Amino acid sequence: MAVQSSDAPPTHDVSAAAPTGEHGDAYAAGTEAEHASGGGLPQFEFQWWAGQIFWLLIIFAVLYVLLSKVFLPRLRRVKDERAGTIATAIEAARQVQAEAAGQAEVAKAEVEQARATSRATAAAAKARVTDTANARAAEEEAVVNARIAEAEAAIGKTRDAAMTNVSSIASDTTRAIVEKLTGKAATAAETDAAVKGAA
Amino acid sequence: MADPMEQFEVKPVVEIAPVNVPGLGLVDLSITNSTVAMFVAATIVVLFFAIVTASPKVVPGRLQVVGEGMFSFIDDLATGIIGSQGRAFFPFVFTLFIFILAMNMLGMFTVFTATAQLAVALTFALMTFLLVIVVGFAMHGLGFLKLFAPSGVPWYMLLFVVPIEVISFFLRPVTLSLRLFGNMLGGHVAMKVFAGFIVSLGAVASAGGVAYLAYVAAILAFGGVLALTALEFLVAFLQAFVFAVLTCVYLNDAVHAGDH
Repeated sequence: MAVQSSDAPPTHDVSAAAPTGEHGDAYAAGTEAEHASGGGLPQFEFQWWAGQIFWLLIIFAVLYVLLSKVFLPRLRRVKDERAGTIATAIEAARQVQAEAAGQAEVAKAEVEQARATSRATAAAAKARVTDTANARAAEEEAVVNARIAEAEAAIGKTRDAAMTNVSSIASDTTRAIVEKLTGKAATAAETDAAVKGAA
Repeated sequence: MADPMEQFEVKPVVEIAPVNVPGLGLVDLSITNSTVAMFVAATIVVLFFAIVTASPKVVPGRLQVVGEGMFSFIDDLATGIIGSQGRAFFPFVFTLFIFILAMNMLGMFTVFTATAQLAVALTFALMTFLLVIVVGFAMHGLGFLKLFAPSGVPWYMLLFVVPIEVISFFLRPVTLSLRLFGNMLGGHVAMKVFAGFIVSLGAVASAGGVAYLAYVAAILAFGGVLALTALEFLVAFLQAFVFAVLTCVYLNDAVHAGDH
């Protein structure tokens, strides 16, 4: 308290000396009275109000202009830019994803087609091989059949020949037997008829 | 104990001869410690944003995150409360918020808190109040007066509602300024008082003997100062925030005067 009361008078002397006239005197008096009573808020020393308000408005105006014209637009720009960058990146990623999905679809279709082609090729090859085999088999069979037929014909001829020989042998044998038994030779025509009748 | 009110005394730093303003008489516009505090706070704000926005990057650095955080905070607040038209008032609300915050915070580190001056708090409140009135009449003309007569209220109720609305409207600058002023004043007085206890209790304890017990009380007072300091940092932010929120709410009334 002691320090303050020794400190206060010079402050108020200055302020009281500076503004002359009714207002200054009134303010100074009011201030002295407040300090004399030892209470009262320094905030209610109205002599300082005008200066505080005046400078506050000026500083606020300057700060407002600097912030609204320079600093805040810069921040707005960088934030918008960031938002744009992120949006573009997401868009690009989505596009790439769609592209990849499309390519996968195409690849799948290609594989499907290739599989179908190979299946067709395999079927064609199998058919061709089967045809060839069948044709060759038929050809072989034809040759074999021809040879069989030939052989059968030969066998038949041989048998016919043999059969012919048998009747002549039988006729000859009959004649020999008849000559031996009867002593009389039978004619060839008779034995032939007899052989034919026996057969 | 030192006078806890001493910290609020305004003292001239640079004397300027009183100016004769017509209608007001002689006005002392000397640069005072209060003016210096405002100037330092504004300078810190400008330097901070000059550094933050010097080379803003899409991938922000630490300071830029802080700056952008405050930007988004108030931007979301303005557009959230006022709507799409809030963009127009965002610079005003942001300047109010950051300037009050800077002065509050400066008061936590230096000896003078400009926002604990009623002249300062009242000036801010009147700026908001006048802006609300100007915006209200500019956007709605006389329709702005519908603000005082909420729709859907029967006519006989209006007899009561309208005076209440009018009074509450004109009390806004008072409540707005006293809230900021009172919070800053009270907090700093309480801190100063508790800090004064430490010294005076220490002086008591120096007598020795049983008086050593005063050290215990002094330590408790120190804990009190510690807690109050933490609380005051919160209040310093909160009051700037509340001022910004209420400014947005009042501006919203002006912008959407006919809507309710």
